[in-house]
Amino acid sequence: MAELTASHLPAPAHDDHGHMSEEEHNNNMKLGVWLYLASEIVIFSIMIVGYIIFRINEKDIVAQAHEELGVGLVTANTFVLLASSFFMVMGLRAMQGGNRAGMLRWIGLTALGGIVFLGGQYIEYSELAHLGIVLGFDTASEWSTFGMRFYAPTFFHGAHVFVGVLWALEVMRRGAKGRYDKNPIGIEMFGLYWHFVDVVWIMLFTLIYLV
Amino acid sequence: MAEAMQHEGEHHSNTVQLLRREITVEGGVYTVVFAGLAILTVIEVLSAEFLNGAIHDAPDAAAALQAIKAVLLLGIAIIKSSLVIWFYMHLKSEKPLIAVVILLPLLIAGLSIMYLLAIPPSGYGL
Repeated sequence: MAELTASHLPAPAHDDHGHMSEEEHNNNMKLGVWLYLASEIVIFSIMIVGYIIFRINEKDIVAQAHEELGVGLVTANTFVLLASSFFMVMGLRAMQGGNRAGMLRWIGLTALGGIVFLGGQYIEYSELAHLGIVLGFDTASEWSTFGMRFYAPTFFHGAHVFVGVLWALEVMRRGAKGRYDKNPIGIEMFGLYWHFVDVVWIMLFTLIYLV
Repeated sequence: MAEAMQHEGEHHSNTVQLLRREITVEGGVYTVVFAGLAILTVIEVLSAEFLNGAIHDAPDAAAALQAIKAVLLLGIAIIKSSLVIWFYMHLKSEKPLIAVVILLPLLIAGLSIMYLLAIPPSGYGL
């Protein structure tokens, strides 16, 4: 009968003190973010469904809204957000390669992309307010039913971008102190959030501004 | 672990296999994906503008053209989203459990959309 030695046993998931290994810890952290994002999918889906049903039933108002909205500014904003997603993943890549300065530069650009996006959204909202497309329910306005359907998903998304910018700045603060030198999981978690915000915008851009 | 290291290597390589050709670019697969996203966005916007013009010029075919536009643009948006999730969010190298975590709410949301769309706008007249 073969003798069973420690080398034949599978590696323990936990060390002798019951602590998780770094890999296990990282996987748990990432699973937590993915579960959070799954709940976000449900919230955004409700808003998107509300818009789709409105879109189907109120074709004329939406066609008129498309003419008023235009696609120039929002297309530029879309490029900015796509670029910020690229900057984000390059920041993670830099940190995984041990390049802390590179990470700070890329994450800084990510935050800047988010700020530019929010600036673009502010300009768009200002122009729409001038046209009378507002959030309130005014039965005298032809836009009374459109405002909420438009602003709810786009503003909620904008709020996510704002939180993302704050998170990026916090990642930079911690990164500058060397927090991610050995384990960049904190950057990866922020990256998952930021890319998710990008994915939501890809869908909103198509559904609200183009279709 | 070896698989994870292999994926890590892919993410840090500047050489990418694209259409059976090897190309070297700073940022590797991430830069190629970004270029793809940008090109698809341009195609998306130009298609929407072209089809809007066609709908305006041919009101008789508006319903069919509108349906083509919706399918085409949503298809492009789904491809773009998949590229971000697959490469930037690294779903490519994650465990299948993560795919289930993200696909399950999408499935439920999809079924809910189907259910809500089946309800007539004026209700059932009860």
